[in-house]
Amino acid sequence: MAENQKQNYLTHPKGIMSWLLTLDHKRIGLMYLLGGIIFFFLGGLLALGMRLELAAPGNDFMSNETYNNVYTLHGAIMIFLFIIPAIPGALGNMLLPLMLGAKDVAFPRLNLASFYIYTLGALFVVYTIISGGVDTGWTFYTPYSTTSTSNVIPMTMGIFIIGFSSILTGLNFIATIHKMRIPGLTWYKLPLFVWALYGTSLVQITATPVIAITMVLLILERLLGIGIFDPALGGDPVLYQHFFWFYSHPAVYIMILPAFGIISEIIPVHSRKKIWGYKFIAFSTLSIAFIGFLVWGHHMFTSGQSVFSQIVFSFITYFVGIPTGVKIFSWILTMYKGQVSFTPPMLYALSFLFLFTIGGLTGIFLGAVALDIHLHDTYFVVAHFHYVMQGGTIIAFLGGLHHWWPKTMGTMYNQTVASICCLGVFLGFNGTFFPQFLLGLRGMPRRYATYDPQYAELHNYSSFWSGILGLSIFIAIMNLLWSLRKSNKLDPGTNPWGAMTLEWTHTSSPPHPHNFEKDPVLEHGPYDYDKVVVEPTFKK
Amino acid sequence: MSEHHITPLKTYLVIAGALFCLTAVTVWVSYFDFGSFNIIIAMGVATFKATLVALFFMHLLWDDKKNLTMFIMSLMFLGIFITVTLLDTGFRGGVNPEVEYPINKRAAFYDSLPLTDTHGNPVDEHGIDSHEGDEDHH
Amino acid sequence: MSHDNSSPDFLQHHFHDVDQQYETAKLGMWAFILTEVLTFGGLFVAYVVYRSWYPEMFVGANLLLDVNKGLLNTIVLITSSLTMVLAVWAIQQKKQKLSLFMLIATFLFAFMFLGIKYLEYSHKFEVGQLPGEYYSYMGPEIAHLNNPHIFFSIYFIMTGLHGLHVAIGMGLIAWLIYATAKGNLHSKYYTPMEMIGIFWHLVDLIWIYLFPLFYLI
Repeated sequence: MAENQKQNYLTHPKGIMSWLLTLDHKRIGLMYLLGGIIFFFLGGLLALGMRLELAAPGNDFMSNETYNNVYTLHGAIMIFLFIIPAIPGALGNMLLPLMLGAKDVAFPRLNLASFYIYTLGALFVVYTIISGGVDTGWTFYTPYSTTSTSNVIPMTMGIFIIGFSSILTGLNFIATIHKMRIPGLTWYKLPLFVWALYGTSLVQITATPVIAITMVLLILERLLGIGIFDPALGGDPVLYQHFFWFYSHPAVYIMILPAFGIISEIIPVHSRKKIWGYKFIAFSTLSIAFIGFLVWGHHMFTSGQSVFSQIVFSFITYFVGIPTGVKIFSWILTMYKGQVSFTPPMLYALSFLFLFTIGGLTGIFLGAVALDIHLHDTYFVVAHFHYVMQGGTIIAFLGGLHHWWPKTMGTMYNQTVASICCLGVFLGFNGTFFPQFLLGLRGMPRRYATYDPQYAELHNYSSFWSGILGLSIFIAIMNLLWSLRKSNKLDPGTNPWGAMTLEWTHTSSPPHPHNFEKDPVLEHGPYDYDKVVVEPTFKK
Repeated sequence: MSEHHITPLKTYLVIAGALFCLTAVTVWVSYFDFGSFNIIIAMGVATFKATLVALFFMHLLWDDKKNLTMFIMSLMFLGIFITVTLLDTGFRGGVNPEVEYPINKRAAFYDSLPLTDTHGNPVDEHGIDSHEGDEDHH
Repeated sequence: MSHDNSSPDFLQHHFHDVDQQYETAKLGMWAFILTEVLTFGGLFVAYVVYRSWYPEMFVGANLLLDVNKGLLNTIVLITSSLTMVLAVWAIQQKKQKLSLFMLIATFLFAFMFLGIKYLEYSHKFEVGQLPGEYYSYMGPEIAHLNNPHIFFSIYFIMTGLHGLHVAIGMGLIAWLIYATAKGNLHSKYYTPMEMIGIFWHLVDLIWIYLFPLFYLI
């Protein structure tokens, strides 16, 4: 055992260069995790700054201009630097080859390149912040973005660059999933997280090129006045919105599909029951990925697009609800009559089910043209997408982090603290964002630093709970990091949840530098709890 | 290493010949005016040429069908992008007819542009006169 | 799958055999082609939308482009596509020298394409047929048309992005020439040549559409 402990990817090989130039997907995953968490904190601080400003009416501590910068950077950082790369880049990189029984992803060098492209893009974003920020909102709508004097170009350059990182990750994963599976691991024996990553990757390679070209056109519009998006030069600003949302709506699924994948892993493992409706979940992933390309116009109901396309977009939008509903019901049926244990990952998964359902159902409100005319650009929208993005993706990300932490780091965090933090996140989240639904229904518009006193009570309430939310997430992450101290090492054979996927059953925790000491042989499906008994093992 | 498909030299030469002929055809046809069929003919020929390149030069005909699927998928999503955007841009003005062509206002910088000859040199004597009329054209 | 040459030096450690490595590279390449199609796709959408909004201006403005140079470039690019595919064909047949010759020919044709493009661009710069606000050409054929600068914006962006791809392709082909001359690529391992070939045909394929869209209709 002592011999084994030396041979893991964290300690072998040694030296800073062996990390910076590594081709090992696990190390690249960890570097993504680090980058993602740094920007998560930065974006989180900006969010808390906004809530502080909004705690009472009036410009108490930020000017309107500062507030514009803060919400723009919060949105752009959270979306482009954290949510989009976090799950595929960190957890996906870490787990995908392990789940397939492969030694690495298909193109390890491309994988490292993708990380450094992400870093380069992130540097552009940091430069934007240092040199005075950008105030257009994360959507960079024209014509304001072509006339704003803030740093639109460095920011859009950053997004252009990060786009390539996302494309390369997606391309790599597609080739990996198709070609790197061990013999016998057929499509229907893949863990559902792999299906989710597959759907995500398809969306990444299909949609992301369009944001790249859109950003190029926007930059050229500012530099040369090409007249494609600028109405003063014969262009059409609504066309910009088409271009932007052709990427950014599918990007919503880049953000949420991997979260679905994580939940599909956590729920059967912690319920000790075979997943209900494997094929339903797998194919609903692909159909969400596809339908996601047909609904972008529902972001543009008040933009002046044609009435005909409003009707079409509104109609197709409802179809997204079908595969999503299929997933939710499948997860609930998986838990039914299972042995549910309320471990921290499972608590996050349960929070996800509750919060994401609210997020999804309020999306149906917004998909209706008539209702959206009233709710557009109000706090109702803000609350809706936070229920989906934070209540969905980030909660699932935290759940996944807690689920695979013993696997990737070989240590176990304090589970009581983790559970209390999860409760804090759940309460803090609802306390922060539920009042925003009410604010939106009462007409509070988004993106304002100040407001009428009639909204003060709900805003104040929201700000108070945002503090609890921020603190809970901070302690949850600290709890994970605190587990890394030396005395806390687990036995390499540990499988604390009794999971059945290859990364748990066929390699040590943390894994061997080449993933598996000998080529793994598939013995059972990922969720065969009805056929095989894998006991949870947990020893130090 | 199992054998990869090796295409006979003749196939490549025939395809290249076909591509040259089709190029000649599309240029020749462009000297005639078929009205709105101009675009359809030109795009039809281009698509036929593109198909030849993809199937033979890019080996999609003999390759693993996954690769073909990937290529067709790209065209499908491009098709979605174009069609669904046209659902908006082609049907504006359903409620307010005056916004049917929202953008054909001439950009302001044309007002200060002098008329030029075919070499781009300003033609002074007409420049000032016809300047006034610019707005009326549109 | 055969395992006859158990571990040749070009086989990377994380693949089981040469076939797996080859197939994976090819699938990855096609995924990349998909992203390329959609990158250009955004610009095709812009073209279609603006053509539908300014039909007369587009028809008028494309008469300002030089059909002869466009046609010549089309022929050059199709020929380079043929020489590229013959380079791959030759190396499959162990005709190393022929393959090298074909690669050099491809490189020269690519250079020729960019040269012709340069002549076209410099003429446009001279007469002021420039993108966006830099547009200043008000010749008799076009003075009555509405917003021709949009046509030239789209023309320069699309052909410019295409030209950038030609330039990148030239860099890649130069590397192929080096690798083939050194003997790193041979009939058992020519994956990079085939992949770059696919990229080069894509460049050709996009030009097949750009040529009629800008020069002919």
